[in-house]
Amino acid sequence: MDLDHLQNQIGEWLCGLGPEADIVISSRIRLARNAAGFAFLSRANPKERSNLEKLLREKILDSEIGKTLSYFSLAEMPPVDRQFLVERHLISREHAFGKGPRGVALSPQENLSIMVNEEDHLRIQGLRSGLQLRTTWNEINRVDSWLEEKIDYAYHPQFGYLTVCPTNVGTGLRASVMLHLPALVMTGQIEKVFQAVSKINLAVRGLYGEGTKASGDFYQISNQPTLGKSEEEIIQNIESVIPQIIKFERTVRETLFDNKREVIEDKACRAYGMLKSARIINSEETMDLLSVVRMGVNLGLIPDLKVHTINELFILTQPAHLQKLERTELSSSERDITRATFIRNRLHNPRNGNS
Amino acid sequence: MQCEVCKSAPASVHLTDVSNNQKKEIHLCENCARDKGATIKSYLNKDTNFPEFKTAQLMAAEFSESGGEDEGLVCPTCGLSYRKFRSTGKFGCPDDYNLFTKQVVQLLEKIHHKVQHTGKVPGRASSQMAVKKELNQLREELKNAIEREEYEKAAQIRDQIYTLEGRRDKRK
Repeated sequence: MDLDHLQNQIGEWLCGLGPEADIVISSRIRLARNAAGFAFLSRANPKERSNLEKLLREKILDSEIGKTLSYFSLAEMPPVDRQFLVERHLISREHAFGKGPRGVALSPQENLSIMVNEEDHLRIQGLRSGLQLRTTWNEINRVDSWLEEKIDYAYHPQFGYLTVCPTNVGTGLRASVMLHLPALVMTGQIEKVFQAVSKINLAVRGLYGEGTKASGDFYQISNQPTLGKSEEEIIQNIESVIPQIIKFERTVRETLFDNKREVIEDKACRAYGMLKSARIINSEETMDLLSVVRMGVNLGLIPDLKVHTINELFILTQPAHLQKLERTELSSSERDITRATFIRNRLHNPRNGNS
Repeated sequence: MQCEVCKSAPASVHLTDVSNNQKKEIHLCENCARDKGATIKSYLNKDTNFPEFKTAQLMAAEFSESGGEDEGLVCPTCGLSYRKFRSTGKFGCPDDYNLFTKQVVQLLEKIHHKVQHTGKVPGRASSQMAVKKELNQLREELKNAIEREEYEKAAQIRDQIYTLEGRRDKRK
């Protein structure tokens, strides 16, 4: 498998078929792990780093899951390809633009990625469409156990899995659910969600995780503490609050639909019209319009459009994706033209391209 | 300079946000920075390095409490000093968790409100721990046997210990 192969498909997690997929885009869990007997990367010299990458790569590929994975070394990869992997949610931005020997092992369906030499030696990530934290946990728990057969993890009876940053120690587990909450944003009620969520020790982040904008009305809810609770308890804590947020968003959507149907319909159809007609469009405007259209599709206001077409556009219109598509480096203004053309083609002929 | 959120207290927390090659600076007072984490996040539309930011804050708080008795600690394995750990909030190797145990426990209490892992245990660690537990128990029995002058029994226990230790050595 190479990156061009990835470019011609779209991950399972974007298919829009999982539970509660009208509001929950995806469920993600990552585990932080370090190999015993080695310095953490925060103290490793270049030679140790390079040895670690080689060793961990071998162990991963040699494990039960290894046969199905493809390994990519990031140090030699062009920046646009690394950005491409970030846009796909397969690696973190820190990993993409970090330094030194490092890599990632990916499954063909894009639901598993194992980052090597990120902040910790290993970051094992599972990704699924809709609300599927438990399935995701079962999958990466199994992968983790397979890797553990090959790699002796740094583990402490009291502190659990040892990590570079004390905020990850214990389970090393960060679970997050990505939600699309346009109605709550539109009506200014999103702050209530933030408040409720922070009360039970959960955090809210933007579309691309730590340090990113909450563009397109996407929010990620994730656990803060990683120590002192079992993996199941952490997941249960998140799962207990998500249905309430979903219900809140749906109620507000319905109220908008009942009381201001023309306004909502007008917004959604105008946004759809803009996307179908624009000749120059930047990333931010695209996200905003797609968000409104997505809600319109879910409310049944735009019958000829499938939600997965919109889901895909959120990813495929990102800068690195456009440049991979055109097979050349594009300036920001060139991208805005390419993006508009790409969106028009997709929306006028949804079967066009690779869907 | 005034806090950009409450617009009353002086700003003492300064965050720099770089996105799309545009630099944006945010100035906040300590209360707003601490109390309104979520609001700030949405206000900033980002929470870059928030865990680190939190860790650094907690470390600073701890520094003012605990004085300098452990200042000089340096990890023989990775060379990380306690001073450096406190300024970066990042460990250098697994051994640091043992070396700085006292401070680690305090820190984890503040971050996670818990200090004991209750989640998954690696298969390897659980079998090693079982052996360790058995050895401790046998050593205790050995001591008791010697105290009671039951030397025959003591010899049996000693052999059992040797076997277990041998099994452990072979596994290494």
